[in-house]
Amino acid sequence: MKKTLITMLLAFSLSPAFAVTSMKATVNGMVCAFCAQGIEKRISKMPATKAVYVDLKKKIVVVEPKDGMTLDQKAIIEEVKDAGYDLVKVESVPKSVAEIKAELVTNK
Amino acid sequence: MIGLLASLTAHAAPMGFKDSWMTMGDFSKTYRELTANYALTPRDAIGVTSTYMQTNNHSQSQINNELTYTRLVKRWNMPEAQANIWFIGGIGETRGNYFGGTKATVSPGIQADYETTRLYASANARIYIADGITNNIVSARTGVSFYEANYDETQPWLIVEARRMSMVSDAYEVTPMLRLIHNRFFVEAGANFHGQPRLSFMYIY
Repeated sequence: MKKTLITMLLAFSLSPAFAVTSMKATVNGMVCAFCAQGIEKRISKMPATKAVYVDLKKKIVVVEPKDGMTLDQKAIIEEVKDAGYDLVKVESVPKSVAEIKAELVTNK
Repeated sequence: MIGLLASLTAHAAPMGFKDSWMTMGDFSKTYRELTANYALTPRDAIGVTSTYMQTNNHSQSQINNELTYTRLVKRWNMPEAQANIWFIGGIGETRGNYFGGTKATVSPGIQADYETTRLYASANARIYIADGITNNIVSARTGVSFYEANYDETQPWLIVEARRMSMVSDAYEVTPMLRLIHNRFFVEAGANFHGQPRLSFMYIY
């Protein structure tokens, strides 16, 4: 029984869903790659940021934390606002930036 | 009469994000400009600009060197579009081959723009004042993107600009241009209806 429990916990902890929780923000006004550079550059510099993904077509920004670190959601929201945009929705998604990018490419 | 002409690089946002530098250039037979500004806040940038102007027949020319202030006055963020009103002003000196010495200049201006991922429109007006002299540049632009590009893709646009520079001519100069945007690079190239080439760029860092 104990062995089964350990195996289950190990399997769960290694699953992608458990491995990472990214922050996904829906942003109004994000229509131009040239003008949206500030979002990527400033959020990339934050200490807990592993990857940033900007999708102009879906109007979303996804931020993935470094392993073992937690994103400062409030600071990220401020950075998006400072870059000149309005946030519509912020949500946590149990996926990495790479997984979300792959999904969006598949759903094109 | 002294025509005082300063920076009027009528592109997308005339400043970058907070703590960024932006360089801009605009080169044609009658107007050449080089500008750099630094965004102190998300809405305010200061910079320097140097502009060279000449008439089509080369009889008159002048160079302006100014300190500039750019202010995002108002922004509307919509789900599929963004619209802005900008104030762009300069203060500095001007020299020319048709008047003596160096004169002080001020040049307040305004820009309004509207942009989606496929459409672009803007209008600019700037007045140039020195020693009791008033001159102006007005321009309007519209354009369409060939396709909707994503953040990391190169996006080509067809842009048409109508511009009137009162020092150069009373007529409007119409210039179709190809615009390419890729990440921090922004380049436009074209030629006006007189066949005079034009090249402009912007870069954020």
